[in-house]
Amino acid sequence: MKAPIKTTVIALSFVFGLAPAFADGFTNCTNAPKSSWKPASEAEAAAKAAGYEVRRSKIEGSCYEVYGVNGGKLFELFYSPEDLSLKHTKAK
Amino acid sequence: MLDVWDLPLRILHWLLALSVLIAWSSANVFDTVHEIAGYMTLAAVALRLAWGVFGTRHARFQNFIRPPAAVWRYLVQAARRQPGRYQGLNPAGAAMAITLLLLLSVSTISGWMQLTSRFFGVEWVEQVHTWSSNLVLLLVVVHVLGVLAMSALQKENLIAAMITGQKRRRES
Repeated sequence: MKAPIKTTVIALSFVFGLAPAFADGFTNCTNAPKSSWKPASEAEAAAKAAGYEVRRSKIEGSCYEVYGVNGGKLFELFYSPEDLSLKHTKAK
Repeated sequence: MLDVWDLPLRILHWLLALSVLIAWSSANVFDTVHEIAGYMTLAAVALRLAWGVFGTRHARFQNFIRPPAAVWRYLVQAARRQPGRYQGLNPAGAAMAITLLLLLSVSTISGWMQLTSRFFGVEWVEQVHTWSSNLVLLLVVVHVLGVLAMSALQKENLIAAMITGQKRRRES
């Protein structure tokens, strides 16, 4: 039973160790300190101005992640808290 | 040695373990993988629930579900190193299986809901998903420790039993 155990350990190490490298989430939108961040509500306003129905937002790393619906399709929008530029759009 | 765990049950058990592990490691990291693992988990749970009704003897819920008082009594006895003689699932194992299946149902369904237009970005759905999923992870740890403890107590390799399907005969 040794080979399967070794294989499993290697596979798990890969999954837990390297998975973040393949991450498709956006977490890096700014290096500016949190004290200088604009409020999340402004990111939501930007999304709304771009035509999305905004459901909610949250902080993801150094990004504002806005959950938006447009034309029945679901999107995660990643804004920089520093200047509210749209860094990444992810269709769900 | 007796045949206790039938092949569908064993396949579903390991499929469930694998898909939960993949979902766990991909959560908030790799959404597409996480979603696929979630759907796999949902399918495995649904099949296990059906098998719990239509399957062979030791797979059936009717065969092993006990009231909470019986589970408690069993744990007290097991703590006294008297695990009793259960050919299939003992009351504690049964409680674990049922609880896991219920929590996995909540986790997979709430996860799926988050991808529907109606519930996307709705906070309570996200919280239900997070809470139920974290509880699953906690119980998985307890489950693995429990299996190891029972294997030692009964002097039987219960992990091997879930692969071969066979256990030592116990008097009923």
